Amino acid sequence: MNRSRAKEKAGKAVFAGTAAICIIAVVVIFAFILIRSIPTISKIGFFDFLFGSTWAPDRNDVFTEALAGQYGVLTMIVGTLFATVGALAVGGILGYFTAVYLAFFCKGKIKKVFNTVVNLLAGIPSVIYGFFGIKALMPLFGWMSPNGNASGLFLVSLVLGIMIMPTVVALSKTSLEAVPRSYYEGALALGATHEQAVFKTMVPAAKSGITASLILGIGRALGETMAVVMLAGNATEIPTGLFQSFRTLTANIVLEMGYAGEVQMGALFATGLVLLIFIAIINFLMGLVRSDKNSDKAKIKKEWLGALKNKINFSKVGKVVSWIAAIFGGLFLVAIIVYILIMGLPHISWNLLFGEFELGSDSVTIFPSIVATFMTVVVSLIIAIPLGVAAAIFLNEYTKKGNKLITMVRSAVDILSGVPSIVYGLFGAATFVLLFGGSSSILAGSLTISIMLLPTVIRSTEESLKSVPDAFREGSLALGAGKLRTIFKVVLPSAMPGIISAVILSIGRVVSESAPFMYTMGTSLGAMPTGYLSSSTTLAVALYALSRENFHTNEAYATACVLIIIVLALNLLAEFVGKKLQKKLSGDSSNGIRTKHKRKAR
Amino acid sequence: MEYGQNISVKHADLYYGDFHALKDISLEIPSKLITAFIGPSGCGKSTLLKCFNRMNDLVEGCKITGEFKIGDIDIYQSADVNALRKNVGMVFQKPNPFPMSVYDNIAYGPRTFGIKKRSELDEIVERSLKQAAMWDELKDRLGKSALGLSGGQQQRLCIARSLAINPKILLMDEPTSALDPISTGKIEELCNELKHDMTIVIVTHNMQQATRISDKTGFFLLGDLIEFGDTDQIFSSPKEEQTERYITGRFG
Repeated sequence: MNRSRAKEKAGKAVFAGTAAICIIAVVVIFAFILIRSIPTISKIGFFDFLFGSTWAPDRNDVFTEALAGQYGVLTMIVGTLFATVGALAVGGILGYFTAVYLAFFCKGKIKKVFNTVVNLLAGIPSVIYGFFGIKALMPLFGWMSPNGNASGLFLVSLVLGIMIMPTVVALSKTSLEAVPRSYYEGALALGATHEQAVFKTMVPAAKSGITASLILGIGRALGETMAVVMLAGNATEIPTGLFQSFRTLTANIVLEMGYAGEVQMGALFATGLVLLIFIAIINFLMGLVRSDKNSDKAKIKKEWLGALKNKINFSKVGKVVSWIAAIFGGLFLVAIIVYILIMGLPHISWNLLFGEFELGSDSVTIFPSIVATFMTVVVSLIIAIPLGVAAAIFLNEYTKKGNKLITMVRSAVDILSGVPSIVYGLFGAATFVLLFGGSSSILAGSLTISIMLLPTVIRSTEESLKSVPDAFREGSLALGAGKLRTIFKVVLPSAMPGIISAVILSIGRVVSESAPFMYTMGTSLGAMPTGYLSSSTTLAVALYALSRENFHTNEAYATACVLIIIVLALNLLAEFVGKKLQKKLSGDSSNGIRTKHKRKAR
Repeated sequence: MEYGQNISVKHADLYYGDFHALKDISLEIPSKLITAFIGPSGCGKSTLLKCFNRMNDLVEGCKITGEFKIGDIDIYQSADVNALRKNVGMVFQKPNPFPMSVYDNIAYGPRTFGIKKRSELDEIVERSLKQAAMWDELKDRLGKSALGLSGGQQQRLCIARSLAINPKILLMDEPTSALDPISTGKIEELCNELKHDMTIVIVTHNMQQATRISDKTGFFLLGDLIEFGDTDQIFSSPKEEQTERYITGRFG
């Protein structure tokens, strides 16, 4: 019997160990960025770097000699802030009203449709947003711009706004729906209309949740890379108008990493550090909002009584605005999908999909990219899923109140999910790429994205573990089963649909991301990868590469088309599987009758 | 060492954090009889029941002192909780079949303890279901999900699931409180059958149920064991005034 106790202990240690990997990852990422940044900043000078308004790097600058170039990131800090404010103005307002609409003004099938729309908007790769911006929105808004080129703050704000909208909607909606119904009934009983009850009572009650969702949206906007690079114009100037070219911190890293000199490279890491500091501030604000929740609730009662008295027309207009916001989001999604399908489908050819790569030939094939994407998906899942699931098991099944390790793992997961994808790219380039001999490879890219997947896998696995009733665990333990057996035989099988949807979401993430791959895996379309140490491009990076050149527009459309079809299919599949979990745990009888007894060959 | 079929508790105290949930409890539960614990909500009867198979270990901040013996084994001194729970089965208030087939539910316990041969498992499943008087109802539905059964069936399946590992004692925590009268009757009948083989301790809110099926009754109030004795005696001539007031329905 001592053996079984030893096994239990070993199991717990393994789960705790995997959970600790998250903490290690955070420490290592920050350490690497710091190690590369600090000498560079001290070489450039703290003030010259942070408040210098000229960015004119010199490739030949080295640490041992005087600098010829100038490395001031002020314009990009300002650019990032402008883009974030613009995105918040668009996405915050759209998201806020859409959340209100979804929570209180729509029911039944329409609600389901809009929920799916929001999920799909969240799933569309940022290269697709950027590509759509270049090909469809730039010509559309060209007339508004003085120089005929619509790139700049306006377009970045619009597209980033749409991109952060799902984040805002998801969290706002959850907190709106968590407001007790009794508040609503109380307001109606005092003679308020539905609209007044919603805007005067329910929305104020969910204020802290909505604030948190906006902060999360800001975080997303700060870290977004690809769509911004494609739409901002990227001049290192402070934008003075809506249609002037500007550059963000993230864009700076992507644009220059490929050919950076020694000091320049260090300056790019330092740019990443500035980004991380922004993200840290966001996380700090988020913590403040969360801890503020309780005092918020106390105020609510007073507020809704008081607020009812001063009737502004807002509650009348609000319904219409909410409706418009939701429709706008839906239309944008439809526009992207339809546009890309119409422009891309006719150009999908056998040669494009499965042709052979020829050096110097004009015909483009994305077959190597399809293979590389597949290879990346396989390795990153093999790494991230077991680690993430084990960490989630530790967090959910071994929790003891006040356990320090668990608190640390949780904040590590929060931080990991907030780190911008381009910073992962920087980290991967500084570690895995060097580890494998200095050249980018599919393996380096896969390892980089694996760390990125961890928070997603952990969170969604944890959610599904939480939804497994404790009665199952008690039943198993009461039968004399140990904790490990309970976890593997009862808890995990019940949570399986949730884990499968985590797998699907992860695949979607690997397929859609591009920033972390560019300098870990490669950026140029080339020959078929011969192994995991080959340099190659995933589909999303291939689309970025194709859209940068103007020679292969049709192929770019077709690639976008392939990408969007894969991503949409994965998202719909994840949603479908998610619904299965609820059915399984609620145990409706129709499900029971269909299940056939399987003979276990054990 | 073998587990016996009687339970002996001496000077047991239990705290949930600062809350003193059981106060100096001592009692002897005889083997192969049905013992009922009654008392108003929050009196500690379920808490005591869960001490017998150490399910309270799962509760954070739960502290237990005193002696709990099953047969000759002091269960809080011996380290092997799993073996304890194999010998002391438990049926919960809400039926909790696993989301698996009927067959796999019952085979879960035996498989936990290393039985893998199909023929052996088949035998155990059949015996357990027969013992729980469900074989005829379920023999054609062994492969179907247990979650598709009615509430009463689910609860009896949970009893059968406990029986599959041959417990010496069966703990029942208000097993019929979520069931209709007909299912309740079936479970009470089943208890009367099972007591030929095992000791049963049942927590119940239903005074009639206690009088119908139990041989011994313990009355609890606010963490104290007020009175413990033969069921007939408790219900006909209680020694304590508090007991009398409770069973005649004047409080609780």
